[in-house]
Amino acid sequence: MWILLLLLASLLVAGCEKRGPELTIAVGGAPEEVRYWAEVIREFERREGIEVRILRQPVDTDLRRHGLTVALSAGEPDPDVFLMDIAWIGQFTASGWLEELRGIDTSPFPEEVLRVDRREGKLYALPVYVDCGLLYYRKDLLEKYACRVPRTWEELLDCSLKVQKAERKKNPDFYAFLWQGAQYEGLVCVFLEFSTGAGGGLEKVRSYENIKALTFMRDLIHHYGVSPPNTYTEMKEEEVRILFQSGNALFERNWPYAWKLHQAEDSPVRGRVGIAPLPAFEGGRRASCLGGWHIGVSRFSDMKESALKLLKFITSYKVQKGFALNLGWFPARKDVLKDRELLEKLPHLKDINEACSYAVPRPGVPYYVQLSQVLRTYLNAVLAAKMDPATALRKAEREIELLERTYR
Amino acid sequence: MKSLRGFLLFSLPALLLLSTLVLIPVLGTVYLSLFRDVPFLGREFTGAENYLRLLSDPHFHRSLLFTLKFTLLSVPVEVVLGLGIALLVNERIPFRGLLRGAVLLPWAVPAVVSARVWQLMFNYSYGVLNYLSDEFLGFRINWLGTELNALLSLVVADAWRTTPFVAVILLAGLQSIPEDLYSQAKVDGAGTLRRFLYITLPLLKPFILVAILFRGVDALRIFDLAFVLTGGGPGGSTTPLSLYAYRFYLTGDFGYGSAVSVLLFLLSLSLAVLIARVVKPAEALR
Repeated sequence: MWILLLLLASLLVAGCEKRGPELTIAVGGAPEEVRYWAEVIREFERREGIEVRILRQPVDTDLRRHGLTVALSAGEPDPDVFLMDIAWIGQFTASGWLEELRGIDTSPFPEEVLRVDRREGKLYALPVYVDCGLLYYRKDLLEKYACRVPRTWEELLDCSLKVQKAERKKNPDFYAFLWQGAQYEGLVCVFLEFSTGAGGGLEKVRSYENIKALTFMRDLIHHYGVSPPNTYTEMKEEEVRILFQSGNALFERNWPYAWKLHQAEDSPVRGRVGIAPLPAFEGGRRASCLGGWHIGVSRFSDMKESALKLLKFITSYKVQKGFALNLGWFPARKDVLKDRELLEKLPHLKDINEACSYAVPRPGVPYYVQLSQVLRTYLNAVLAAKMDPATALRKAEREIELLERTYR
Repeated sequence: MKSLRGFLLFSLPALLLLSTLVLIPVLGTVYLSLFRDVPFLGREFTGAENYLRLLSDPHFHRSLLFTLKFTLLSVPVEVVLGLGIALLVNERIPFRGLLRGAVLLPWAVPAVVSARVWQLMFNYSYGVLNYLSDEFLGFRINWLGTELNALLSLVVADAWRTTPFVAVILLAGLQSIPEDLYSQAKVDGAGTLRRFLYITLPLLKPFILVAILFRGVDALRIFDLAFVLTGGGPGGSTTPLSLYAYRFYLTGDFGYGSAVSVLLFLLSLSLAVLIARVVKPAEALR
C-alpha cells in the first residue's frame, strides 16, 4: 500500500514539475492531415531553429474546441498556437483568449473572411484555409438525361425527379440528392444555405422565407423522396461523400475536401464529377456556408514572439500553396489562388472559387455554439417529421431569445 | 481504544482513496453548479439560478423523461433475459463451461466499440439488419428514425451488451442455492414450475435486486450508446441526462452542465439508497 502511495505521490510531483517554456501547436484532423502538418512544422524548425512540440488533437470539431476550452479557461501556457473552426472564433475572442496580432500584412486575405477574425477593430486570427458549401454533380448523368447544371432549387428538384425515376429501374438504391441532415453543426450550415437562398437567414430565425426553405428541405426527404430517409439520422459529411462516391446519387452538397477523394484512383465516379455553386430559390440569392479553420496565438502563451513567427509561417504563400497541393485545402490567400502552377495542377479550384464567392458567415455571437445546439435540435425534428416547420422555427426563435438573455 | 486505532489504521487508505477519487469531484461539481461559469462572461456566483433554469427547461424535462423511459424498459428486459441465460447455463448441458464463457463475451467488449458495431448494423443503406429486412420483407426500416424506433434500438443494443452481466450475478446466486432443497421438494411432489416459483425465485431475490441496482444506476447514466447511435436525435428525442449535461460542458456553460450532473447524481443515488435501504439485499444475502 505504502509503495503504491509513494508511487502515486511521485507521479503527482512529476506531473506538476515545471518544464521550461516551449513552443507548442495544437493540431487535429484526419491522419494524412496531421502527417502533413508534422512536415510543415519540421520545415519551420529547420528554418527558424525553434523547436516546436505538436499537441495531437482529435478529428471531431466539438472535441477539438472542448480540449482548447479546458486549457484556455485554466490559463495554461500551452498550446501557444492553435487552430479554430470559424464557428467558434467569436467565442474565443469574446473570452479574451487570443493575443492581438500586430504587424501582419492582411492584404492577401479576403476581407469578408477576415471579418470573423476581428473584434472591435483588432485582429486576433488569420485563416489557414477556407471551406464553403458546394454542389457536386454527376456530369455523365446530367448529360444523359439532358439536364443543365441547376441554378435554382426548383430546377434541381425537377432534374432529380426525372433522373431518379429512370435510374431506379436498374438501381433501386439510387437517390438523387444527398446532403447533411443529422443533428449536428453541418445541418445548421445546410439550413443557412437554403434559408439565405430563399431570402431569409439566421439573423432572424422565424420568417416566412425560412419556413419556406425548411419545408422544402423536409419535402426533399418525405414528399419528393429524392433524399434518402436516413438523411436526418445518419447523413454527415462522410456518409454523404461515401454514398455519392459509390455512384448511387446525382447531386451532393459537400465541402471542397470531397473533390480529391472523388477523383481517387479507386473511386467509381472518378472523372465524372463537376462542381457548381449551390442553387438558390427562384428570385433568391445563392448562398454557401462559410467554413474553414483559422489560426491564432494564445494570450497565455509563454513564447509569444516565436508563436507569431510560426503563425506567419503557416499563413505564408508557400505553405498555403503546399496545403492546397497536398491536402486539397482551398487556400485563403488571394495571391495563392492566382498561382499558375497550382491552377494547372488543380483546375477545379476555379469552380470552387466561384462557389465560394457566395459565401455567407454564420452569426458571430459569442454564444453561437449554444445557439447552434438549439437550432440543430429543432431543424432535425422537422426533418424527422416530428414537428412542422412553422412551430419549430417559432420555438427555436423563442429559445434563442432566451439564450441572448442568459448569456448577456 | 485499540480496536478504534486498528479501524482507523486499516480504513485510512481506503477512505483517503475514496475521498480523493469520489468525494472531491462530486463536491466540486455541486460547488460549480452554483455559479454561472461561461468563458466569455467569467465566473459569477448565482446561487440556485441554474436549478431554477432547469425547472423551466423543456429540453431538460424531455431528457429526464427519456432517461427514465430507457431505464424502465431496458432493466426488466436485461433481468428477464439474464435470468433465462443463468438458468440455462446452470443446468447440466453439454459444453456448459464453454457456454458460460461465451455468454460473457459481449460484456467484455468496450461500450463504445459495441455501440459502433450496432451503428453499422442499424445503418440504413448498408447495415445488416436492413439487408435482411430488404431480402425477406421487401422494404427497409429506418432503425433510428423515429423516437420509438430509436428508443427500442438503444434498448436492444444495451441489452445485448449488459445481459451477460446480469446472467453472471444470477448464476452465482443459483449456485448458492443448496441442491437438497430441490431434492426435498421433489420428494414432496413439487413440479419444475413450483420448484422455480417457491425455491429458486425467493432465494434468488437478493441477487436479482443487486442486479437491478447495478443495471438501474448504469442505465440512468447511459451515455456512450446514445452518443454514438443517435447523437440525441431525431430532433433531440433520445438525449439522456448525461448527454444533455455533456452538451453544456462541450459548449462551455460549465455551471449549467454541473447542475444537470448533480441532478443525475441525485437520481442514481436515490435509486441506490432505495434498493439498499428499503429492499435490503445485503441483509437477505446473509
